Amino acid sequence: MSEPRTYESAVGRVEEIIRRLDSGDAGLRETLDLVREGRELVEYCASELDAVSQGLEELRLDELVARLEHPAEGRG
Amino acid sequence: MGHPVIANRDPVAAGGLPGPFPVGSYAAQLKRRLQEFARVQLEGEVWGVRLSRARVYFELRDAHGALPCSMWRDEFDRLGLALADGMQVIVGGGCDYYPGSAASSPSFSFAVSELRIAGEGDLLVALERLRRRLGAEGLFEPQKALPRAQLPRTIGVVTGERGKARDDILAGLERRGWGGRLIWAFAPVQDRHAAPRIAAALRELAATPEVEVVIVARGGGSLADLYAFCDEALCRTVALLRVPVISSVGHHTDRTLIDDVAAVCCSTPTHAAEAAVPVDCAAARRALAMSAARLRDHGRRAILHRARTLAQLSRAPGRQVARHRERLHQLLRELRAAARRRGDEGTARTAGHLRALERSATRGVEADRARRARELDRLALALGAHDPQRTMARGYALVADRAGTPLGSAAAARAAGDLRLRFHDGEVPATVAPEEPA
Repeated sequence: MSEPRTYESAVGRVEEIIRRLDSGDAGLRETLDLVREGRELVEYCASELDAVSQGLEELRLDELVARLEHPAEGRG
Repeated sequence: MGHPVIANRDPVAAGGLPGPFPVGSYAAQLKRRLQEFARVQLEGEVWGVRLSRARVYFELRDAHGALPCSMWRDEFDRLGLALADGMQVIVGGGCDYYPGSAASSPSFSFAVSELRIAGEGDLLVALERLRRRLGAEGLFEPQKALPRAQLPRTIGVVTGERGKARDDILAGLERRGWGGRLIWAFAPVQDRHAAPRIAAALRELAATPEVEVVIVARGGGSLADLYAFCDEALCRTVALLRVPVISSVGHHTDRTLIDDVAAVCCSTPTHAAEAAVPVDCAAARRALAMSAARLRDHGRRAILHRARTLAQLSRAPGRQVARHRERLHQLLRELRAAARRRGDEGTARTAGHLRALERSATRGVEADRARRARELDRLALALGAHDPQRTMARGYALVADRAGTPLGSAAAARAAGDLRLRFHDGEVPATVAPEEPA
């Protein structure tokens, strides 16, 4: 079972892929596979960056707890 | 408590003093009396530290006097202090007296039950003791072993609602370009009574699934002010939380215990915010764009390169055949030339052989001819010797009948009647004359 994907693991893998491609040792099939995987990881990282670039959302813990305990009131 | 032995004796005649009393009883009374002295704290400089198996001995001195002190060794060891001469300490305890015996000397000492380094205060001593205990229990490690997200989406913060730390944290996050979700858990951060509230806030934040890291911050203050962050229960709570805690409490000279148990300890709330989000979002975006461009380049280059290779390969067979044909022709030319060279060489070699044979044959034939000539001469001589012609030349004649058949006897001649006499120079017919009777 593989590790859950995280931003840091994705960035690490992209760097690894680029190192492999830079080495020039990868054949056509591997190159295309690596490029495809790398693009997918870059998209994931970009989405993670997007998620923390929407503007700071500040919450108070007591309000959050109250909202979780009384979801109906929170929505109202 | 009275002094029955001393009080009830009559004065001795000489000098008017009570007694004489047994010295052991007096010493025991003295011990009891000294032990009645109030227990106090004393401050002074340590001198002459001596460790024995059961006790630690030293003198406590100042400019006006000194006191021998002793402490149980196990109590001393529990303090975890390294006592050295010249150290200024505060000791707590009371007077004691060892009355001695017939075989041992008596001694007075101030029995020390508490000891701390003077000047750092009770808080620091207690803090050091607790720090050692928590460290010995391995509680400084669990937080440091937790994985920390480089780009958390949700950060929890425990701090005072009106403190400067709040603004500092926001400034740190802004510097990172981070705009995720921030959950504030405001709690009093001033004194030790704040500790349970801080611990509760931490537990609640850790129980919130989306919280990936928690910052505990306050803007500094005296150690007394920061004592809330040295609370044992709070520190144990932090050590066992599932989320990493970044502490930013106090400063370097007053390191609190929460700094030791936390995953990361920062000197300011701004730094704590930056530690919570190690990634500079703007820089990360730029790096990501570069990575994407490089991936694109690699993909494009790989295809172009392979396409060129394929094109070259597709043109290759014709050139390959031509190259092989040319090579074959060349080989053929070389083969012919080699064969020619080989033939010439063979002819020359054969002619040489022939000449040698001729020379050899000539030499053999000449010799053979001479030999044969000599043989012929010899045979001619031998033959000549037997030639009938030569015999007839000497006067002999060959007798034959008319048919020419040689007749070898007189009887045959008589029978034949007609004879032919062959001489060396011709034949003469002859007839046998009738024989005259004898």
